[in-house]
Amino acid sequence: MSAPVEVVLSADSAGQLFNCAVFDPHSGSEFLSYRGGNTSSRSLTVLNGEYILGAQLGKNFINVWEIQRKDQLQQKIVCPGIVTCLCASPDGLYVLAGIAEAIYLWEMSTGNLLAILSRHYQDVSCIRFTDDSSHFVSGGKDNLALIWNLSSVVQLDSSRTPEPCHILSRHSLPITDIHCGLMGPQARVATASLDQTVKVWEVSSGEMLLSVLFDVGIMSVTFDPCEYFLFCGGSDGNIFQVSLCSTSLSRDKTFQTDSDGNQVFKGHRNLVTCLSVSMDGTLLLSGSNDETVRMWDVQSKQCIWSINHKGHVTNAVIIPAPANMFLADSHPAVPLPRFSRHLNPSEQGDGTGSGGMCLRLGASTQEREGTYLEKADELYSLMCAVTDKSVFGDGENTKVRVSELEEEVKTLKKINKDLYEFSTQLLTKPN
Amino acid sequence: MKAKKQKRQGDFQKVQLKVGKKKPKADNATNVNFRSKAIHLPEQLKHVDSGPTKHRQLDIMDLLSKLHHINSNIKQGALVGLRELLSAQPSMIELHASAVLSEVAALFTDKDGSVRAAAVRLLRFITQCIPAERVVPFFPLLSAHLTCAMTHISEAIQEDALRVLDVLLEHYPGLLSQRHTVLLTNFLELISQKRKAATGQDKSGKGGFALTISTNRSVTAQQWRLTVLLRLGSFLQAVVEERPLDEGVTSSIGLGMWAGEKGSVTSVDVSWEEHVFGKGRIQVFENSGAVPTPHSAYRLRPDSKAGAGMNKELCSAETVQGFAGTLVPLLLEIWVEAAGGDHVQTDSGHLLSAEAMALMFQILTILQLLRRVSPHRDQKDILDAWFRNSYLADFKHHFMKNFPYGLLEVARHKKKADGKRIRQQVAAGTVAGGNVEPLALNVTLCQVMVTLSLRGQDHVEAEDADWLGTIRVFIRETLSNGGKLSSKHLAALLEVVWRMIVTQRSRVVTDDLLQAVYVQYQQRNLAVSVRSLLLCFFSQFYIQEHQNHPHIARSRILARWLASLPVQLVQLGSRNPQLSAQLLETIHPAAARGNKDLLQSLQKNACSIYDPQEGCVVVLPVESQKRLVQILHSLPAFPAELLACLSQVCNTGRVSASLATMLIRTIHLRSPLCGWSSSSQDVPVKDVDYLSFFFTTLTGFSSEMLQALQDTDEDSLLPSSILSPLSVFATTLEQFLHHWDIVEEVCHCLDTLGSRAQCFDVIQNAIIKNLCGLVVVPDCVCAAILRCVPRLLDVNFLPSDTLLHFLSDCCLSMLNLLLQLEQSAHKRDAVWEACFAALSTVPRLLRLVLQSFRVCDLCEEELPVLAQILSLLLQHTQLRNHMMANASLLQHIIQDLTHFYGGETREQWLTDLLYCYSVTLFGHRANMGMRDIY
Repeated sequence: MSAPVEVVLSADSAGQLFNCAVFDPHSGSEFLSYRGGNTSSRSLTVLNGEYILGAQLGKNFINVWEIQRKDQLQQKIVCPGIVTCLCASPDGLYVLAGIAEAIYLWEMSTGNLLAILSRHYQDVSCIRFTDDSSHFVSGGKDNLALIWNLSSVVQLDSSRTPEPCHILSRHSLPITDIHCGLMGPQARVATASLDQTVKVWEVSSGEMLLSVLFDVGIMSVTFDPCEYFLFCGGSDGNIFQVSLCSTSLSRDKTFQTDSDGNQVFKGHRNLVTCLSVSMDGTLLLSGSNDETVRMWDVQSKQCIWSINHKGHVTNAVIIPAPANMFLADSHPAVPLPRFSRHLNPSEQGDGTGSGGMCLRLGASTQEREGTYLEKADELYSLMCAVTDKSVFGDGENTKVRVSELEEEVKTLKKINKDLYEFSTQLLTKPN
Repeated sequence: MKAKKQKRQGDFQKVQLKVGKKKPKADNATNVNFRSKAIHLPEQLKHVDSGPTKHRQLDIMDLLSKLHHINSNIKQGALVGLRELLSAQPSMIELHASAVLSEVAALFTDKDGSVRAAAVRLLRFITQCIPAERVVPFFPLLSAHLTCAMTHISEAIQEDALRVLDVLLEHYPGLLSQRHTVLLTNFLELISQKRKAATGQDKSGKGGFALTISTNRSVTAQQWRLTVLLRLGSFLQAVVEERPLDEGVTSSIGLGMWAGEKGSVTSVDVSWEEHVFGKGRIQVFENSGAVPTPHSAYRLRPDSKAGAGMNKELCSAETVQGFAGTLVPLLLEIWVEAAGGDHVQTDSGHLLSAEAMALMFQILTILQLLRRVSPHRDQKDILDAWFRNSYLADFKHHFMKNFPYGLLEVARHKKKADGKRIRQQVAAGTVAGGNVEPLALNVTLCQVMVTLSLRGQDHVEAEDADWLGTIRVFIRETLSNGGKLSSKHLAALLEVVWRMIVTQRSRVVTDDLLQAVYVQYQQRNLAVSVRSLLLCFFSQFYIQEHQNHPHIARSRILARWLASLPVQLVQLGSRNPQLSAQLLETIHPAAARGNKDLLQSLQKNACSIYDPQEGCVVVLPVESQKRLVQILHSLPAFPAELLACLSQVCNTGRVSASLATMLIRTIHLRSPLCGWSSSSQDVPVKDVDYLSFFFTTLTGFSSEMLQALQDTDEDSLLPSSILSPLSVFATTLEQFLHHWDIVEEVCHCLDTLGSRAQCFDVIQNAIIKNLCGLVVVPDCVCAAILRCVPRLLDVNFLPSDTLLHFLSDCCLSMLNLLLQLEQSAHKRDAVWEACFAALSTVPRLLRLVLQSFRVCDLCEEELPVLAQILSLLLQHTQLRNHMMANASLLQHIIQDLTHFYGGETREQWLTDLLYCYSVTLFGHRANMGMRDIY
């Protein structure tokens, strides 16, 4: 069997059968399972395609598995408090954890604790990175969502406390879920809240683009990769599909089912706590407090399969299959460092200096980098230049180059032939 | 040549007329030999070519040409005529705007005073009629003439130019503020003159200008300066207000200054459908247009929109500094002269005459405006620092020495002189600045001085301590001496307080000042605007500054204020919904942020806030109700009595069903049984309380109410009989439907609980304990029970007999009620749905119901009712199988029924029943038969 492109990773709060398990997105059959403990909600994450990290429910440590050694709990990272949410950056360099009101940021290469951000007033409920790891968004039970620039958070300059770039304060009840779209800093981010709305924001400006009001509190939210649809998991077990292509310009709207895109997936009987869409946008995965994980076909709104768990589903996500997952004898490229529990380990009298050098962005570098539009322009002109040169370049040069290459091919063929003849002679020569 | 001439002469030969001869008839003579009885004129001939006239039949062109006449009387007459003409024909103004404006503007510099006065009057009239955007093309001309008049050598013309300026400022502030480069220097030149380069040895020698005194003006130099300063002040005001970015900020009183400047982003909505086939390009901006990418600085022509182009020069700190560098020494000098004059009269320096006070007020206003001219925050900080470095010593010396100021009471013995002076002031247009309250003056002085204190620099704190201390004392006394302040002064004072607290960073100062504000806040009988201003101050202060400044976060006063909010909310009740909404706007975020003081106080007052009779949650408007329900999310604990209140709130119908649903969901989410908030150790809702809350909400009636219901005998009570074993209390349709919605939500919440069997067991016990003994039961309770039991019943769980008997009684009573309900289809549907669900899910219930049909005990009138109930049950396909399971029982009943019915004629109801029965039986048999065949 060839390795699948995408896999489903899910975990429940009971942890009787497994802590988390990997399933086939098309058939629902179980590939692997990782044992030991259980995982709290929104805290299961894959680090760099090599490790699985999951925060223990109600305890102050994080379970870590190497992705190929499924049955063995690799290590426990002890944290300063109960971890409420966890997220690893897509480039695998940083790990964020929400611990009570504060957000902890670790650097993966050294295990150093780089920053403790305490801008939330209540427990942090969800953290998400943008796909290029340049920004992250955190949402808390204090009704606020904050957009942070990673490079401004990891500064050597310790005199300035890092500030979020935008504060999204339009929700009136705790934020339950966040989803970041693609396109890095130009992405859109969706926040779901118990106040029965889902709001879509722009990361770059912090402006609200859309607010959809539902009949029930929303527990989870996701986009499909094209951002045609917004999927929102309600607290009554319904999943609402909101079409984002509708022509109306108003920023506030109320959800109503209709024929063009606004539809409901019915099947769950309790809070829908996790949602995820596959890479091609045809499959929708949902996990619920009714202890099932369901896979839906987006086009027909049919449930394809469902898997029963033993407790509330806390995490369910469709991820690209990591390369190491099905190779039992592979090893992670980088060993997992020991996570530091304090800021500035050198000041703690930690004599065992690692001898490494710490590289971080200074404050000055982020003043005025070229804007993304300019970069896009530059890239475009570069691409145009390449195609112009190779396809429509001046004929003279091309001809010369072609003849040169033909010459070389001839020479190579000749050498090959000589080699062949020599070896046949050698072999056929009677000794 | 000659021949031509002869020919022409031949053409125009003169006909010689002679006396006595008849005049020859012309070739084109009209033959008038006709008669008519009447001449009909469809319309009058109109005067087409020359427009309407007025004032001696002169039309507009005539009048305009008369403006060039050498005689000033004629000019004045023409101006008056123009005004009359235009006011009679307002449409002509638009037509002739360019001509009229240019001609009138030329008269600003006329030699004769009466002509200028008439011109100003005409201008005032015209400006009322033409909106600013139409006058844009003529404005350069107007302002050129204005400048010309302001710099005119004749002083009378200068004075009148200020009046023109007044008119333009009133109507076109935006346009005028674009011309600031020219106008600002003009202002300077009105009160001063450029110093010769060499003679720079004056004692005030910083600026390149020196004050002028001219003796031949009609007013004194001081009054003249005051008038000029007034205009300068209003001009700067216009510049500040017409800045494109933060119009909204300055318009809201004072709050903008607390909030700090934020660039508001105006977004562009693009409908992509229009651009799919369009060739036009869409300009894309980085950061949603907040910072446009500067690709090219070239502009085809200057932007003529209001204020768009002007910021090039005035927004940078350097230009403001340049101007201020000239102006501020002049202002100081003016003040020194004015104060010096006063000192001669009085010894006490803090008492000022009204005139000096007005002058000082203007000076301070201008200083304040100068600082606000540049829109960006960082620029403002630069400017503040610059002011501090250059002028702090001067300001301290001249202004702070005698602070706070009071009004010098002039004995009014010279009535005549007074009247004369007033007349002079009227003439000079200084009435507005004539009477300034000392409080306003002092507050403005505080505002100006406080901006000079820099934020966050420790080493300067000691230097500032003396004068900041004075200001602090003044503010504290003003706020806490129990006097009532107008909202304008209060806003200014609060701004000063805000600034001082943020810059000084000391807990003592913070508590001191906040205490004073709090004293003001605690006064009774404040005007609503003042009250809401204070409220706004505190709430903004808390929300914005709390996080950044630990000394504010730890302030006891702020904590006390927050803790007092819930009490105020309770006390306010329904008297002022706006104020309540404002209170809630602070309470909600503070509760969401988990502020301990507030939560404690909220917890203490929760029962009165959520009181079902007169609590805020029922008396306030819907928006506030919603907020109150949302606040429940952050309440630390729900004691049993609070839950009792909330349950009644849900059921009394004074909050809408959707809001009640939200409330129920909130309780559900806060309970650990729901399984959402798993992390928290403390339990906000105990399981016992949770279940009792849901049961109470389900029934909708408290035990006392039910008990009371047992003893009443109202009309709405349906008597019990064999077919309706319970006596049903019919509720109103509205109440029934409200309760129905709530039951739906309760069932949903209970449905999602973990172990269904246990949950059902609890509910069953509760029903048996609380409801089973009742004789009178409201219909909505019956419906609710019938609805919830089948939904919560687990397949493997056997309900107890007591419960089933009670259910069968309920069901029978409801079916009986159903037949009597004609008026409301909605209620019928709901009742039938409940009965049907219960009967189809619990087969034993159906059997019990059928068993209770004891036909022998029924009287004659009840037989048709029974038959109708039976046929209703038989008609439903889903129930048929269950009915057939009890076929023998059914057959028995029907036999009895036909037996006991002694009527000769077969009634319709009996026919129907027998038909239904046979259809059911046959269908069933057929099914069986089919099954047998295959």
